[in-house]
Amino acid sequence: MNIFLHEFKSYLKSVGIWSAANFLIILVYFSAFNAISLETAQMQTMLDAFPNELLIAFGMNDMNFGTLLGWFGVVFLFCQICLAIQASNYGFSLVSIEERELTADFLLPKPLSRVKILTAKILAALAALTITNLAVWASSFFTINLLRQGRTYDAAALVMVLSTIIVFQLFFLSVGLLISLLMKRVRSVISLSMALSFGMYILNAFGKMIGEDSLEIISPFRHFDPNYIINHQAYNWSLVVISLGVILVAVPASYLLYQKRNITAAV
Amino acid sequence: MRIYLRELKANFKSLLIYTGVVAFFVVVGFQKFTAYAQNPEILDVLDSMPKAMLDTFYMNAFNLTTVEGFFGVMYAFVALILAIAAVMWGSEIISKEERDKTVEFALTLPVKRSTLITAKAAAALTNCILLALATWGLNAVSASGYDPGPEFYTFLFQGMAALVLLQVIFLSIGIFIGCAMKQHKRAGSVAISILLGTYFFSVIAGLRDEWDFLKYLSPFKYFDPVMILRESRIEPVYLWLSAGIIVACLSGAYLIYQRRDLYI
Repeated sequence: MNIFLHEFKSYLKSVGIWSAANFLIILVYFSAFNAISLETAQMQTMLDAFPNELLIAFGMNDMNFGTLLGWFGVVFLFCQICLAIQASNYGFSLVSIEERELTADFLLPKPLSRVKILTAKILAALAALTITNLAVWASSFFTINLLRQGRTYDAAALVMVLSTIIVFQLFFLSVGLLISLLMKRVRSVISLSMALSFGMYILNAFGKMIGEDSLEIISPFRHFDPNYIINHQAYNWSLVVISLGVILVAVPASYLLYQKRNITAAV
Repeated sequence: MRIYLRELKANFKSLLIYTGVVAFFVVVGFQKFTAYAQNPEILDVLDSMPKAMLDTFYMNAFNLTTVEGFFGVMYAFVALILAIAAVMWGSEIISKEERDKTVEFALTLPVKRSTLITAKAAAALTNCILLALATWGLNAVSASGYDPGPEFYTFLFQGMAALVLLQVIFLSIGIFIGCAMKQHKRAGSVAISILLGTYFFSVIAGLRDEWDFLKYLSPFKYFDPVMILRESRIEPVYLWLSAGIIVACLSGAYLIYQRRDLYI
């Protein structure tokens, strides 16, 4: 419990900054998009007349320009990038920070098994991520209701989109943790987390733009594509299970690796 | 010179990783291109659409069935990868000394602080150029199978030259942040926030006339692949802006690092 509290406290500042950043992104971009959404109502009817193959080729088949939630999908993608960076930051630094700052010498001799230490740390990171998650929920509902000007939106679809955040965060947290344990020494957390989160983002963005599915199906940005969820009112389960599967492999593997890990000590 | 070589060696692994990322991306991209190469059907569909509609989405800018057009679409993503590499290298090459607790050693060497920064910046710049060269080579090799014309090679060369400039912009921003941040741990996160902010600006800048000014705030918008392909040039105002950013960041970095209080 002490470890949990200590860890949780050390996350508070970063959680505050990320939550504020997400709130600002939602507020600023949604109000900006909202201004165009009124003009683009006609554009949607125009788009509907085009052949579907073409719209798929340009990644616009799932986008609904005329509605509140159609634009929310675009804003949410920006939030997803931030959430991915935050979660993979926490994942990569979760246990590697002790070795980098030479505090492993202090932590590991405590009368606690490594399993317990890791559990406390994961739970603390999860609690921190959940606060950011709640902040995104609150900012989304707040902003949409502030700007909808009497228009209606499908609250159930919005809830469905926002519910994916926790799995999305867990994916990056657990993959980050696993990679950090596979490495002998993690020097720079942020370069690794950028590579993971932006790599996944680019893979999906470029993959959606042209051609058929190939490697981008490993990207969580693809699994939890907000436009798909909004338009179909359903998750793309065949892809969501990939995310769930990765999490279910990464977490136990991390426990195994951490138990056997050879810790770099100060002396 | 020794510092320069030492830094090059220390960053070699990171260079290899980024080259790997670019290679992976280029391979996946060109694999997708096979579906489009010389496939005129999609062009017929494009031709039947209204002109205004095509302009809105820049669809007429690039002909996806040719290698040039395809590279034009990939360009934005290549730019993003290269910019991430540059900003990370820039901020880390300075701040890592404090993180790895080697700063006492580095600064007691009989060289001035400004010489230290110069050597480090030169090493990071070399890395950036090597990465751009690798990207160039990878694209040229992957494209050679589709027997591209000379205009592809010109476009590729000019596009990559523009990307080196983009890298230098982000490298100087990174170096400035590395020198200016009091807490070395913040350097990386601040560099990322700037990169993310400018990237988000570039995504929405084209959507509405009133937001047009955002393109001046985002270096990603400075080097427009359409203009490079069609007219082989870059708007002069962007060149001046780039030069301004680079000079301001680098001189700021030297000034601040001279009197920096170190975290030991």
